[in-house]
Amino acid sequence: MNGRAPDGAVPYARVVTGYCLGWLVAANAVGLWLGVVLLWPAAGDALAPFTFGRWAPLHLNWQLYGWCALPLVGALLAWCFDPRHPQVRWHAHAAFGAWSLALLLGGAGWLGGTTSGKLFLDWHGWTRPLLPGAMHVLWALLAAHTWWRWRGLGNGGRAARVAALAMLLAVPTVLHWSAGREVYPAVNPDSGGATGAALLGSTLGLVTIFLLLPAFLGVGGHRAWRTTAAALAASWGVFAAIDHGHASHHAWGQIAGLGSLLVWTVWLPWFWLGHAWPDGVRPWLRAAIVWWALLVASGWVTFLPGVSEAWKFTHSLVGHAHLAMAGLVTSLNAVILIVLSRRPAPRGVWAGWQAGCAVFVAAMLGLGAAEAERAGELFRSAPWTQALLALRLAGGAAMALASFHWWNENRKA
Amino acid sequence: MREADPQASVGSWWSAVAAIAATYVYFLIFAEFAFIELARTAAPTTPELRQLMTGLGAGGVVGAAGAVWWLRRIERRRLLAICFGGCAAAAGLAAAVGAKAGYAAAAAAVGLALGGLTVTLSTCLRAATAGRGLGLAIGLGTGAAYALCNVPAVFAASPRAQTLGAAVVALAAMVLPRGLRTETAPATASPDSEYTRAGTIRWVAVLLALVWMDSAAFYIIQHAPDLKSATWAGATALWGNAGMHLGAAVAAGWLLDRGGRGALAGAAVVALALACLTLGGHLPGTVPARWFYTAGVSFYSVVLVEYPARRARAGLAALVFAVAGWIGSALGIGMAQDLAQVPPAFVAIAVAAVAAALGWRGRVRPAAAGLAAALLFAGDSRGAEADPLVARGREVYIAEGCIHCHSQYVRPKVAADVVNWGPAPTFAAGTGGLPPLLGNRRQGPDLTNVGNRRSPEWNRLHLITPRAVSPGSRMPAYAHLFREGDGRGEALVAYLASLGAETQAERQTQIAAWRPAAREALAAPAAAALFRQLCAPCHGPDGRGDGPVAGRLSLRPGDWRTGPWRHVPAGAEPEPVLARIIKFGLTGLPMAGHEYLRDAEIVGLARHVRSLHNPAPGQAGTAR
Repeated sequence: MNGRAPDGAVPYARVVTGYCLGWLVAANAVGLWLGVVLLWPAAGDALAPFTFGRWAPLHLNWQLYGWCALPLVGALLAWCFDPRHPQVRWHAHAAFGAWSLALLLGGAGWLGGTTSGKLFLDWHGWTRPLLPGAMHVLWALLAAHTWWRWRGLGNGGRAARVAALAMLLAVPTVLHWSAGREVYPAVNPDSGGATGAALLGSTLGLVTIFLLLPAFLGVGGHRAWRTTAAALAASWGVFAAIDHGHASHHAWGQIAGLGSLLVWTVWLPWFWLGHAWPDGVRPWLRAAIVWWALLVASGWVTFLPGVSEAWKFTHSLVGHAHLAMAGLVTSLNAVILIVLSRRPAPRGVWAGWQAGCAVFVAAMLGLGAAEAERAGELFRSAPWTQALLALRLAGGAAMALASFHWWNENRKA
Repeated sequence: MREADPQASVGSWWSAVAAIAATYVYFLIFAEFAFIELARTAAPTTPELRQLMTGLGAGGVVGAAGAVWWLRRIERRRLLAICFGGCAAAAGLAAAVGAKAGYAAAAAAVGLALGGLTVTLSTCLRAATAGRGLGLAIGLGTGAAYALCNVPAVFAASPRAQTLGAAVVALAAMVLPRGLRTETAPATASPDSEYTRAGTIRWVAVLLALVWMDSAAFYIIQHAPDLKSATWAGATALWGNAGMHLGAAVAAGWLLDRGGRGALAGAAVVALALACLTLGGHLPGTVPARWFYTAGVSFYSVVLVEYPARRARAGLAALVFAVAGWIGSALGIGMAQDLAQVPPAFVAIAVAAVAAALGWRGRVRPAAAGLAAALLFAGDSRGAEADPLVARGREVYIAEGCIHCHSQYVRPKVAADVVNWGPAPTFAAGTGGLPPLLGNRRQGPDLTNVGNRRSPEWNRLHLITPRAVSPGSRMPAYAHLFREGDGRGEALVAYLASLGAETQAERQTQIAAWRPAAREALAAPAAAALFRQLCAPCHGPDGRGDGPVAGRLSLRPGDWRTGPWRHVPAGAEPEPVLARIIKFGLTGLPMAGHEYLRDAEIVGLARHVRSLHNPAPGQAGTAR
């Protein structure tokens, strides 16, 4: 390869893909290790004091703030950055570098036992301001580039960017605040888990981002924007109308509110498929659509009274989380990276990843379904539980290999 | 280039000193001190105050960035005067408002004006001093400001008086820019390599670490009455601080003019590290902490101004003050608020980072890195003296990530939860911790009531050697928490023992009422196999009480082959009692329950245990 970026690629595409895939590989490596020590706990004892509970935040947070978030940051850069600026690659490096430094230092802190005790909000003590600090660096770069390209923007573009920057400015403060131990979301009193309103709100946040994605990436489409925006506004209206307190999954309002998401299992794919995606995107997009439909449907079913009681606290939720992160989000993130770089994923990555993810999710759903009645067998490592955890490890290994292959090919490109 | 007027140059040099002093006085006595005290009246809680401080910091970052933009459009001396005026107005606003919204506006205004002022002043200093004695001018201005703020009458004044005083100082300083020289002057005493991209990153990192440490230490001193009085109580202490600040800052300025920036930053980080370690009780005495702190702060405060001033570029100054100054302060204060101390691990990392950034070679860098790694991953002694054992144990529970495998939530409407894990506490009690530790997985049992389900002895043994006690357990071994001198293990045991203490009586009633639902029992061979896995470690394969763990128990299990039952009342049908003991264990004894077993397994085990019982004639059925 001659190293020249393909037509249509952003000039800092390799920077974005390098960091994103790097964090995917790192988070997968930790996940793989967690899979190993669940299967053979004695292996973990060899690394004490770095035990399972110390490693777990690295896997969770590196996946969320590393792999899941950074491609979206890449999309944001594509929307705001001035591609003609002579230092644009260096600026992308600065943004991703600051973010990565925060994740690295955060990892050292969690491994050292500095954590808030809140899942996905482990930023505590000296690690607490790290990511907000990195977000400020990113924001400053976005603002600077918006300023530099100000004259080339139309009124709509200017207004949209100013509004987006104003909203983004609040994100670091909100993250810093929400990581505090004194802040805790509403709890479903009958399950000890999230309320229907919380699940609906967080998923609608994702739907909003997913709808904006083609615009951020500059992918043209022919779908009715106004109708879609109206549907989204209606969904947010439902969210606003239902109880936001400590509501039970037995409350019909919570059930119906969460059920309203089912509309988006059809609407979102319809919207996505109405855009002119570049080569190499469609397989990932189709996979994302399948995972999305499974995610919303299973999420709603497992929220229902009777089902929730059987699934809560079991490995089914691990399966569900991977359905979301490894299935849906990863497929969409692959779409983002391919659009930004105009390079399809290397051969075998799609199949390896999707197969690994399917095996992983199936193994966890299977274990969770049996585990509710036979927890003792899980606790004492009965052979059938070991077999399912081994299957999970195999699925995880397939995903880790696929991600490493993609990262390595990107490095060599 | 025309020859500079010597008198004008001297006047300009002193104007620069006065401008630096005015800026630092405004920052030290008002922005960092009096404003917070004033705002506390309207925002008394830590989260509220944090919001205001965030507004101030964000204003500072925006003000610094804004100055870069304005400096392209407005002559810098004029902008400097405007910024001083803005500072005066912001302080006046803070003195006038009384509501939280007013303080929020004042915080943003103070940040904006001060952020703009620092960057603008930084671009003026090289020309104002004609490149001669730049470091000394900065040292003198900085030292004078610190000294003035430590004058007892100023220090002890009310926050409102200090605020008005700062406003007057800023207002008066508006005349100073007129006396500043504007001709460019050559940079001296600083190689270009320190201003390349890599050099800039290095120095921003160094200054970030220093500000971070200082802000954290300052917050700790401010919020610990004994430390506060040891540092700032009494006229003698304050005059001593003033003298130390002035002397150290002037010495720092002198050294900077001779190219000693690296050595000075090194001395600052060492002094601040010693101060932080002393404040945390890791080194003896508080008096040395005060001297280390004042010296370290003086050293780095001069470097913080001198590094960007030597280059006189607005972008560089904005980067330094935004990242190292404002963000560094936020990091330090945030850390101190969360942890109420400066962790030794952080101190070691900061020292190692500064050493690496300054390019120290030889034994220093690996030694610092080694120390950092050792402290980072060594036993965490957070709050060892200050917190009760249970509170510390909860911190250990959080730090070790127990939440990733254990829940602490009994679902009140799920019968199996209530039977297995004990009565559900009230919702408020269950979600009342900071933070609640509800968890979302059960790769091990729920721990809501573990204190009345497991004895401390059993928990200790299980934590040290989990698979010896519970064969097949997926739990990691935590023997390292119980090493000599490490109190984390015992604290964790104490915390676990505290869980469910309030439901003890209810649990006993629940246990007494329990009957296995299953009529069918596990087949005898399967029950025997289950016994060998779960029970043999203590009771031995034949129930003789000779399992491998038995010798480590305070009460050795009885020999069922020859002795009577210890816990089956005389005349009672053994099987239901045995089933209850197998499921729920024996309170206060090392015999733990197996709540998670299915009823058929429990009944099967009870029958197997009964089959092993073969006491000597005349001894069956006693209630020992």
